[in-house]
Amino acid sequence: MDHAAHSPTPHGTQHGSAHHDDHAGIGKYLAVFGALCVLTGASFWTYADWPVRWPFHDQPAVGWAFMMAVSCTKALLVVLFFMHVKYEASWKYVLTVPPVFMSIFLVLALVPDIGLRNREAFGGRVPSPERLANMAMPAAPHADDAHADHADH
Amino acid sequence: MSLAAAAHGHAHHDDHNHGHGHLKLEYQPALPLLNGKLILWLFLSTEIMFFAALIGTYIVLRFGAFVWPRPHEVHLSEPIGAFNTFVLICSSVTIVVSLEMAKRNREGAAKFWLFVTLALGSVFLGVKAYEYNAKFAHGIYPALPHSQIYEKPDIYYASAVRTRLAEIKAPLIVKGNDVTDAEKEHMLICDLLLRSPADGPLPGTPAALTPLTGKLFEVNNADANTAQLQAIANEIMPHPDEHPVAIPEGTVPPEETASHGEHPKGLNDEYPWLRLPIMIPGGNMWASTYFLLTGFHAMHVLVGLIFFVFILFMRIGAANAGVIENIGLYWHFVDLVWIFLFPLLYLF
Repeated sequence: MDHAAHSPTPHGTQHGSAHHDDHAGIGKYLAVFGALCVLTGASFWTYADWPVRWPFHDQPAVGWAFMMAVSCTKALLVVLFFMHVKYEASWKYVLTVPPVFMSIFLVLALVPDIGLRNREAFGGRVPSPERLANMAMPAAPHADDAHADHADH
Repeated sequence: MSLAAAAHGHAHHDDHNHGHGHLKLEYQPALPLLNGKLILWLFLSTEIMFFAALIGTYIVLRFGAFVWPRPHEVHLSEPIGAFNTFVLICSSVTIVVSLEMAKRNREGAAKFWLFVTLALGSVFLGVKAYEYNAKFAHGIYPALPHSQIYEKPDIYYASAVRTRLAEIKAPLIVKGNDVTDAEKEHMLICDLLLRSPADGPLPGTPAALTPLTGKLFEVNNADANTAQLQAIANEIMPHPDEHPVAIPEGTVPPEETASHGEHPKGLNDEYPWLRLPIMIPGGNMWASTYFLLTGFHAMHVLVGLIFFVFILFMRIGAANAGVIENIGLYWHFVDLVWIFLFPLLYLF
C-alpha cells in the first residue's frame, strides 16, 4: 500500500477534500481485479461445470438468481472502488439512488402484465412444436381433425 | 485546492462585508466536486436508466416468451463472452492505473496505461464483430429482409424453403448450357434435395452427393405435417444437444454432451451458398433483443475509444487528471453494463 505513505489525512475525516482519492491505491485495484475475475469465473461455472459440476441444471431459476447476485456484487465492486464512490461525499446518493430505484421499479412494474403474460397459458410448460405450429389457429380437439380441415382448403 | 475550501473562503468574505454576525452560515455554492465530474455523473445517472430500460425490456420479453432459444441454437459461444468480460475487466484496471499515474504527474506512464485500455477496448470490439459475423453467416439478423429465422415448422416455413430453392435455380435455368461446373453442381444439389427418396438419386450423381437425395422432399408435399417439417428444419440447421438434465454420479457423459452442445453441421453449414431459411422457435425476438442490447453497448465502447484517442494527444498531468477520471468513470460504467449483459445474454 504505497499510497498510505503520502496520505496525510486519516481515513474518514476529510469531506470532499482533494485527498479523497488517496484511499484507493494500485494494490487495492489489483485486489478488486482479482475478485472480479473470481466472480466472473463463478458465473461461468454454471456453464462450464468445472472444476465440479454445477448442481442446478434442472432448476434454471437457481442459476439465474446466483448469476444476478454475482453480477450485483461485481457491479458494486466496480462502482465502489474503480469509480471511487466509496470515498465520495454524500452527493453520490442524490445521483445514484433515484436512477437505481427507477431501474428496479421499471422492471418490477413490467413483470405482472408482460413478463408473466404467458405463464398460465400452458400450465408453466413449454408448448410442443405441434402446438406452437398451430398457435394462431383455434385449438382443435383432435390434431387429426385440424389436419384434415387444413388439407381441404 | 478543493471547491469546499474555496467555498469556505467565499463565505468568510461575505460575512466580512455584511457583518450580521448572528447566523454563521457556511455558504457552499456547489457540490464538493468539479463541474465536469458532476455533469458526467448526471449523464451516468441517465445512462443507468437508459440501460435499465433496455435490460428490463429484455428480461420481461425473455421470461414472457413461450419459447426462448438456447444459446447454442443461436450460435452464441459462452467462452467467447467470458473472454470479452475478462478483457473489459482488465481495461477497467488499466484505466484506474492510468488515473493513478496521472495524479502522480507521470505523464508517460499514464498515457501508456491509457493506450493499453484503448487496445483492450479494441479487442473487445473486434471479438464482438467476430461474433456478429458468425450470426450473420447463419442468417441470424435482427429483422427482415435479411433475417432467415422462422419461428415454427409450418406451411410458411415450407414455402420459404421452396422459394429459396427456386431462387437459386431460376438464374441457372435461364443460363441453359452456359453454366459452370460449380453451378451445375448447385443445380444438382437443389434437385437431389427435393427428389423423392423412393426414386433414388438422379442417374450419374456423384457418390458423395447421393446422401442428399430426398432431404427436403417433404417441403414439396402439401400434406407434410409439423413433425416432418421439423425434421426438415433439423436437416437445414440441426439444434444442438444442451446440458443433459442430470448425469448420474460416476457415469462418464457421452461424447456429444461432453462437448457442450457443439453445433452439428446442417445443410446450411455444408453448403453455405444454400442459405435456406432456418427454424428457431423464439429466434426473432431473441435476435432483436440481442442486437439491440449488444449494439448499444458496443456503441458506448466505441465512443469511449474515440475519447481515449483524443486524450492520448493531450498533455496529461496532476493538474488535469480529472479528464482521465471522467473518461474512466464512463468506461467503468460501460464495463458495468457488460457485467450484467454477459450472464443475461450468454448464460441464462
